[in-house]
Amino acid sequence: MPLPSPTALRRLFSALAALLALPLAQAQNPDLNFYQKSVRPILEEHCFDCHGPDKQKNKLRLDTTLGILKGGESGEPLLLAGHSAESYLLKRVTSKNPKEMMPPKGARLGEAQVQILRQWIDSGGQLPGAQEAAGELRIKTTHWSFQPVQRPTPPALEASFGNNAIDRFVLEKLRQEGLQPSPRAEPRTLIRRLYLVMHGMPPTPAEVEEYIADKDPDAWERLVDRVLASPRYGERWARHWMDVVRYADTDGFERNAERKSAYPYRDYLIESFNADKPYPQFIKEQLAGDMLGTDRATGFLVAGPYDSVKSGDPNLTLMQRQEELADMVNTTGTAFLGLTMGCARCHNHKFDPILQKDYYAMQAVFAGVQMGERPLREMLDAPKREAVVALKAQEQRQKSELEVLKRKAASVPEPVAAGKGNERPAVSAARNEDAFEPREASAIRFTILATNGAEACLDELEVFDAEGRNVALAANGGKASASGTLPGYAIHQLAHLNDGKFGNAHSWIANSKGTGWVQIDFPAKVRVAKVVWGRDRNALLSDRLVTQYKIEASSEPGQWQQVGSSEGRRAGINPSGANAFLAKLSPQDGAAARKLQADILTIQEQITAAEHSAWVGKFAANPVRTHRLYRGEPLQQREAVAPDALSVLGTLGLDVDAPDAQRRMKFAEWVASADNPLTSRVLVNRLWHYVFGNGLVDTPSDLGLNGSRPTHPELLDWLADEFVQRGWSIKQMQRLLLLSATFQQGSAPRPDAQKRDADGRLLWRYTPRRLEAEAIRDSMLAVSGALDLKMGGAGFYLLDVVRENVRHYFPKEKYTPEEYRRMVYLFRVRAAQDGVFGAFDCPDGGSVMAKRSRSNTPLQALNLFNSTFVGGQGEILLQRLQAEAGAQSEEQVQLAFRLFYARPPDAYELERSQALIQEHGLLSFVRALYNTSEFLFVF
Amino acid sequence: MHPFLNRRNFLGHTATGLGGIALAHLLGREQASAKTPIRPNIQPANPNAPRLPHFEARAKRVLMIFCSGAVSQIDTFDYKPELIKRHGQPMPGAEGLVTFQGQQGNLTKSPWEFRPKGQSGKMVSDLVPHLGALADEMCFIHSLTGKTNTHGPGENFMATGFTLDGFPSMGAWATYALGSENDELPAYVAVPDPRGAPQSAGNFWGPGFLPAAFQGTDFNATQPLRNLSRPSAFSPATDRATREFLATLNRHHLEKFPGDSELAARISSYELAARMQLSVPEVADLSSEPKHILKMYGADAAGNPVQDLKAAYARNCILARRLVEKGVRFVQVFNGAYQTGGEGVSNWDGHKALEEQYVKHGIVMDQPTAALLTDLKQRGLLADTLVVWCTEFGRMPTFQKGASGRDHNPSGFTAWLAGAGVKKGFSYGATDEFGYKAVENVATVYDFHATILDVLGLNHEQLSFYHNGIERRLTDVHGKVIREMLL
Repeated sequence: MPLPSPTALRRLFSALAALLALPLAQAQNPDLNFYQKSVRPILEEHCFDCHGPDKQKNKLRLDTTLGILKGGESGEPLLLAGHSAESYLLKRVTSKNPKEMMPPKGARLGEAQVQILRQWIDSGGQLPGAQEAAGELRIKTTHWSFQPVQRPTPPALEASFGNNAIDRFVLEKLRQEGLQPSPRAEPRTLIRRLYLVMHGMPPTPAEVEEYIADKDPDAWERLVDRVLASPRYGERWARHWMDVVRYADTDGFERNAERKSAYPYRDYLIESFNADKPYPQFIKEQLAGDMLGTDRATGFLVAGPYDSVKSGDPNLTLMQRQEELADMVNTTGTAFLGLTMGCARCHNHKFDPILQKDYYAMQAVFAGVQMGERPLREMLDAPKREAVVALKAQEQRQKSELEVLKRKAASVPEPVAAGKGNERPAVSAARNEDAFEPREASAIRFTILATNGAEACLDELEVFDAEGRNVALAANGGKASASGTLPGYAIHQLAHLNDGKFGNAHSWIANSKGTGWVQIDFPAKVRVAKVVWGRDRNALLSDRLVTQYKIEASSEPGQWQQVGSSEGRRAGINPSGANAFLAKLSPQDGAAARKLQADILTIQEQITAAEHSAWVGKFAANPVRTHRLYRGEPLQQREAVAPDALSVLGTLGLDVDAPDAQRRMKFAEWVASADNPLTSRVLVNRLWHYVFGNGLVDTPSDLGLNGSRPTHPELLDWLADEFVQRGWSIKQMQRLLLLSATFQQGSAPRPDAQKRDADGRLLWRYTPRRLEAEAIRDSMLAVSGALDLKMGGAGFYLLDVVRENVRHYFPKEKYTPEEYRRMVYLFRVRAAQDGVFGAFDCPDGGSVMAKRSRSNTPLQALNLFNSTFVGGQGEILLQRLQAEAGAQSEEQVQLAFRLFYARPPDAYELERSQALIQEHGLLSFVRALYNTSEFLFVF
Repeated sequence: MHPFLNRRNFLGHTATGLGGIALAHLLGREQASAKTPIRPNIQPANPNAPRLPHFEARAKRVLMIFCSGAVSQIDTFDYKPELIKRHGQPMPGAEGLVTFQGQQGNLTKSPWEFRPKGQSGKMVSDLVPHLGALADEMCFIHSLTGKTNTHGPGENFMATGFTLDGFPSMGAWATYALGSENDELPAYVAVPDPRGAPQSAGNFWGPGFLPAAFQGTDFNATQPLRNLSRPSAFSPATDRATREFLATLNRHHLEKFPGDSELAARISSYELAARMQLSVPEVADLSSEPKHILKMYGADAAGNPVQDLKAAYARNCILARRLVEKGVRFVQVFNGAYQTGGEGVSNWDGHKALEEQYVKHGIVMDQPTAALLTDLKQRGLLADTLVVWCTEFGRMPTFQKGASGRDHNPSGFTAWLAGAGVKKGFSYGATDEFGYKAVENVATVYDFHATILDVLGLNHEQLSFYHNGIERRLTDVHGKVIREMLL
């Protein structure tokens, strides 16, 4: 993709031209003279000290046309030609707020001066040289990661070291630094390294011996291929990706509810890695899988924390939504592009070529995404899909039959007219009418006196005038208020009382049991004649039903007159308003209708179960418009922003109101394009990071200006290009890395090299490192033999759960074989850690974790030395050693060392081990092995 | 390499990046370098070895008492005569006001009387008489403001400076910067309430993205540290022999990797763990505490569930003092736990029946907390310990419409500091005439955090950690030290 694309330029330019209505003959322009003679001197007098040639506070410069057009860090345009009142320049110089007023110190602008600025902006805000400046405005960068990937030629070196191009780049760099690579590691070290890096578990003794015995020159190559083909590979690498996409199985925050259906996304990841899905497809599925037959993949979008505690405070609600979207934007930015988008949420990015507008353009891409569950269509195999289709058809048939009966009932006249002298029907959950003499009113109040239990729920309160118009409707100006609203439920809001939408999902619930009130104020006095209300017009729910109430009208403030009440209604509850029609049917028809209703409910349940709903997000087809927010504040909306790519790299050319599907698909295609200079670089660097323990760029989620420079820029670009050439195959790239001599080097330290490069960034050896929590636990289970290799499905728990309205999690102390699965299948809880492995820098999905810390702490030591988990594994291993090696301690030690370290013990180790076993038993011996550095590290 | 041990020098590395930077006009580079991060020099073998502060510290350590559920300032420390006078009247301007749970009823004075205390004459309510008696020791801030009115995000905010999940707690930042003076105990200990964890759970003492070495270790007087004791399957002699055997294997292996600091760190972590196995049970064993001390804290209380709870909380307070005595860098004591048994039952979330619930919470919190402060003082520990008492936000001066309790209010709430480096018998900032909104010397939680770090000798703008492309701080991009509260 050209930088920036001509389309982007055209768009920007035409926007500017429209903004400033650029005159062609500037010299003869009287407005320009006005600027030079009257406006500029004011700016010079008051502003240039801080925003002029010497100083540019907040990157704002007012002495040049370009500076004025650019504006400052805030991202606010200074001028809106023709609209001085909305122009940021005017807002700041006229502000009374001491934190905002400009200039902050010294003499303020006089009224006459302000008037001149107004006049200037209102008449078009002309500036000299605006056209040329507009050309300069486009965002540009020469930062390496934004430049197109150029395939360098691997250096031609004569050397004994090297299997492929990677080695030639590495060797050249080493030579430049006066260093030599290390000799190849021992085969046993290599096979163990390969398995730990690629599977997260050690090889079995049989696998080791088979490799050692294989004297073919291509033995390593074939081993690498076997390792890449194993399903264990996908489990290991999906776990890495889960770090990058902040995956967890609970919501986080105060309630921290379980997401029991989040795991299909995890399974999708494992399957994708195992299938070596081409990376562009992998990207597109995660951003727009709903359009590609992979519903599970969009779990990516909603894998982050979710604040499910909702309140009536509108500002807070807006902020919560902003945070949800920010999580999607930030994760997408770091995961695929290696950029810190979050820095541009409140102002232009301080380091990278990302405008504040770019942030909101990316936010607009996700504006249609909602947290929640959606059916997984691809989980329906053909028979299941047919079953769902059949069920839906059946549901439709039953509904039509029911409709026929309902129409039949509707033609029967009402049995009893409501009114004086007659007993009125009992309250119904679905719909109740209270008619009265028409009267003038400015407000109607509905007071709850009793319910059939708990806080009352009303899905709609309608007030009809004599003409039958619902004057309570918010759309007609009705304003709702209430005694209080049950907090924490988005579906139960006061606004739902008069939104014209029926059903539980659009209802209001009081915050006090059996009492409370709601009130509708009309914009002007109206003649009201009837109140209609219900708990659930869809007649699905009948709890929280108001059974006693009064209705009052007010025509003068503070004066209320009762116009209706529950008095005169029959006691009890009308079975259900929606079922009222049943009474009008013949007994035979009534029975048929009841059966139809029951059948429909059963069918609906069957459909839900068959559809496999999972936590993969929901989509609004036509999202609300996204606006740039001044300083990121939800209440400070600025101009509408169209969904788009980063402007420095191009544009998607979408409309502000583009449908959701188009937004995500277009954006995904842009990310997944070979022309995007970031995508391939970021991914190959991640592969390097996980294989070697450190990326060529050691800030794997930031390839921007604030991130590190690559240690081997040519190698990174060569890999990025090779990745694309090889059809974006992750496995092929890993194969390349693993076959390199660089990977196969020994790990022993060398004082000469350490002096020059202590961290091994130049790759003079394979640097040892502690394994991650998951690899340690999986390895423990593998050597004890307890490991259950069942793949996929719901996760296992390492925390006991107490389920109140908030969830509480307590580390387990007792374990069963249920928990002996690989840790990628752990039900991962936010803000809580497993009692043993949590101490090993195990991320909880609170934020993207592209690079884990590697602490060594006494708590880790205590957990491994004393926990019931490790103790339990020790006992299982003890039995294994006895069963497989017999009763002799020498054989036991031999087998144990091969299991733990892929090697036999040396004489010293054998002797010390046997001594311990003799004195203190085999259990002590295995307890110690689980704690050894050699077991916990990869070398 | 250790990602956190050998952090590249920020300036050095961006300087090498400068060659590639020539952003045309729209973006310039940050000129200022006043906020250069100061990177703690962390030894792999002992990540919590003591480190120097950025400048001379007023306090060596922090003891934080956190009251979960949002303690009402109206009923404790924020005395408002006008509220008493206008009791039962609507609050001006509150007609359309919607707070967390809904609309407001009338202004409602506290059910507890306020009385002047000590030399300072500070007005404190009868709900917390023991604490009131120590008003001369305290440095109040009445003008705190938060960013959210929901418990989880509010507690996250007080704990980590962010309303979102995933950020390091204040104690993690402090130990990351300073390490610990005691290498036989965890550098950072969280003492959860006897009823359970706070509402933001492990976030309160979590490491966020900081290395796990800096996370808080949670245990209290009833619930010992996990995995501390020797499994019963092994005798002490076997345990010792196994440990020696392990060290032998590790040292033997290290010979192949001479000078490898990460492997050396592994070995020393087992030595530290062995010391901890002795010292943690010792510090958690309250049996040596004399009767008069137990009585002073109220650890002898008994007879009904509230008294039992008070005794359990009092024991946590004694444990906290013992940890402070041993030089633990950051100790957190929690009063109140996540919601259980209904709103406000297990914490300070008094929405509906404030008086009924607060009577119990007052009994549990007041005497033990006051005794903790007194005890620290009499042992001379206040000289180098900063005590912080805080909560996630405040409550409304009105009762909720149709209820006998107060809704959440992040617009103005109270906390206090005591001990090293802070003024005594002093009050900073004020809310309006009813105690609703901070109006005088309005301060943010960021300011509060910046001030605490300052007392520890840490510049909140320079204490940072590079994560996902951003230099992260406890105070995000905000915060100003409240000098007026400091000596």
